[in-house]
Amino acid sequence: MLWKDQYELGVPVIDAQHKELFRRVDSFLQVLRSENSWDEKIPEINETLEFMKNYVVEHFRDEEEYQRSIDYPGYDAHKQLHADMVKYVLEVSRQYEQSNKNEELMQQFGGRLLAWLINHVAAEDQRIADYAKKKGVSGNAK
Amino acid sequence: MQNKLYTAFVDATQNVFQLMLNIPEISHRPAEDFKCDDEVDIAIGIVGDLKGEVVYRFPISTSLKMVNIMSGMEFEEVDAFVTSAISEIANIISGNVLTALSNNDIKCDILPPEQRGADEQKQEYEIETSSCISTAIGDICLEIGLNPAS
Repeated sequence: MLWKDQYELGVPVIDAQHKELFRRVDSFLQVLRSENSWDEKIPEINETLEFMKNYVVEHFRDEEEYQRSIDYPGYDAHKQLHADMVKYVLEVSRQYEQSNKNEELMQQFGGRLLAWLINHVAAEDQRIADYAKKKGVSGNAK
Repeated sequence: MQNKLYTAFVDATQNVFQLMLNIPEISHRPAEDFKCDDEVDIAIGIVGDLKGEVVYRFPISTSLKMVNIMSGMEFEEVDAFVTSAISEIANIISGNVLTALSNNDIKCDILPPEQRGADEQKQEYEIETSSCISTAIGDICLEIGLNPAS
């Protein structure tokens, strides 16, 4: 299981979305790393990739809305991190289609996504939670 | 400057190992005695007020353990997934260092990670320092080479 309790921020709506994101990424990695042939994996990989493209954007939007609602001072920098990741996911998705569903490309994507997500939640998002707790607004998500 | 860079990279590595891998304890020493037969070398280019690169030398066993801790999955060899995951960790450490340096008015950017061959010839830099960082899952070596922008 990818999710660890230490990633919990104490902001219910964001924690719930993070858990769902980790669950989906976990499921994506299980398929990606399974011993089945690549052809057998492709349908589930495609499905998860489509979900990721939509859910990542939705989650980032909600998280940014929460940051604005608590006047988080690192909002602009954090939004840029989100924008860079969305750009990367869309670019990989485009390359994946153009390369006729190249496996190595998807393995690279999986490795980077894993490390990026853990760092983002354990380090970057933790700063938002620390600020919210300090300000006494950690339960005030929309 | 050399000491400042050394400390910044060691601190950032410690922070990332703690947050991402749940490994709070590390120790460090100068890297002259770093020996490893099988490793994955990841270079991160640096541009701006300082120009050069930092090469992260991850022994294969350490690389596999890092990815195992993050994913909960077993990995037996370094493939595109493992290389990409540890490249992102090198990227994150370097990014954190540059954020710390920017607080001292040193403005730099990092370039995307590149895998290096262990026998590639090294360039010479005005500022050179290296550190061997010991962790519970093995040692890693950081070789930092930078020139001040002219």
